Amino acid sequence: MSAVCLERKPVLSGELNEIERKFSRMLADIELENSHKSDHEVRYETETLQAELLKSKSLDLDIEQTLQQTAQDFEDAAVDEYNKFVFESRITEADKANDLQNLERKLDRHLLLLVQQKQWDQKIWALPQGLQKDGETMLQTAERVLREKCGDDLTVQFYGNAPCGVYKYKYPKMFVSREEEGPVGAKVFFFKAQYIAGYVDHNKLKLQEFKWLGREELMSSLSQEYYRNISQFLIDEE
Amino acid sequence: MIMIRVGLTAALCRLCISDVQSSNTSTRLISTGISPLFFKASTCLYAEPLKKKKRIDPAILKQREERKKKRLEKQIRRLERNAKQLKPIDELEVPLELVDGKKERMREAAVITPAVEEERALLTKDWTRYKRKQHLKDMQMIDRLMFAQQKALDELRQESEELYQAAIQINPTLLPFTVRGPVKTPPIKGYDSPDGEYTDVSKKW
Repeated sequence: MSAVCLERKPVLSGELNEIERKFSRMLADIELENSHKSDHEVRYETETLQAELLKSKSLDLDIEQTLQQTAQDFEDAAVDEYNKFVFESRITEADKANDLQNLERKLDRHLLLLVQQKQWDQKIWALPQGLQKDGETMLQTAERVLREKCGDDLTVQFYGNAPCGVYKYKYPKMFVSREEEGPVGAKVFFFKAQYIAGYVDHNKLKLQEFKWLGREELMSSLSQEYYRNISQFLIDEE
Repeated sequence: MIMIRVGLTAALCRLCISDVQSSNTSTRLISTGISPLFFKASTCLYAEPLKKKKRIDPAILKQREERKKKRLEKQIRRLERNAKQLKPIDELEVPLELVDGKKERMREAAVITPAVEEERALLTKDWTRYKRKQHLKDMQMIDRLMFAQQKALDELRQESEELYQAAIQINPTLLPFTVRGPVKTPPIKGYDSPDGEYTDVSKKW
């Protein structure tokens, strides 16, 4: 059997933590101390000097100069524009609504696709998996499984021909066929893939049957052993 | 008479080609100052008389002017083309404006108190420790991933040699693979750029 470990990689860069913020501030300070003045700064200083001279000695006002935009004006205008511009917030609506099917959730973390699958007599959450057919390599099986479960709309990049992990389990005794030669268990080979674009086809998978979970939420949805096995080949150690 | 003749020779020495000063006898004297001639011969110039200026067709004149203009414009275009090509970085120099204006651009040396210095040193040490831990964690994670993959490949080999060989193959279609990295804020939906859309065609090295 082969399974697909489909991840939506982070869209946003993570927040800096305490020490990172302090260090970056220190580096900025040092850089400022070692730098030369820029054109804008030089212009600003000359204009403040001129303004002071004007006030104290009342030199002849050069009309051309006063009509030009001073450096201070330019700076103020730039700051105004920056403050007025509204950036898109990092916490999207999907975050607030806790919509597990939406990909816009948790934009600075990884999201893993879990699908509800029938295992024996239960329905459990797992990575989408399927049996390998004859004449297929495991990677082709994985691609087929993904297409069958999620539809053609999903654009995905598989990371190569080799599997990244394996999960072995034995069938419980009730389901093992009476003959001794039948399969006793199964091996699931996981293939890593990165989500690029598209949506899961809702016709194939109804809303309750799939979800995109962040790393912290995985433990609650998966069985202990399965989770332990999977976390071996997942990145993200925060 | 000889004296006079010598004087005459000296005065009229330019009339003759040969060197008259040195030889004061036996050159034939041509005197033009005797009656009834009394004409003055101008100096020997060795040049032909100036040619008569012909009137040139104004159309041909215009053509010549245009050709000169075109040549100049071509040279200007060539210079500009060279200016657009960027210089290799090794040839770049500090622009003269900055070199001349160095004095007015220098900041006053900032006063760094010993307390601040110590704080900075301690922060740098903390940072090195933090980064080291991070690096170790990354290395451990990579080892873990590689171990998991190796285990998977071993199991696959146990299952079937064929599948294993297929799994080991390098997939040439994978590279080049480009992904755009994480940004600070998500894109605004339906944003109309005030500068308009453009495609960046600058060369990248």
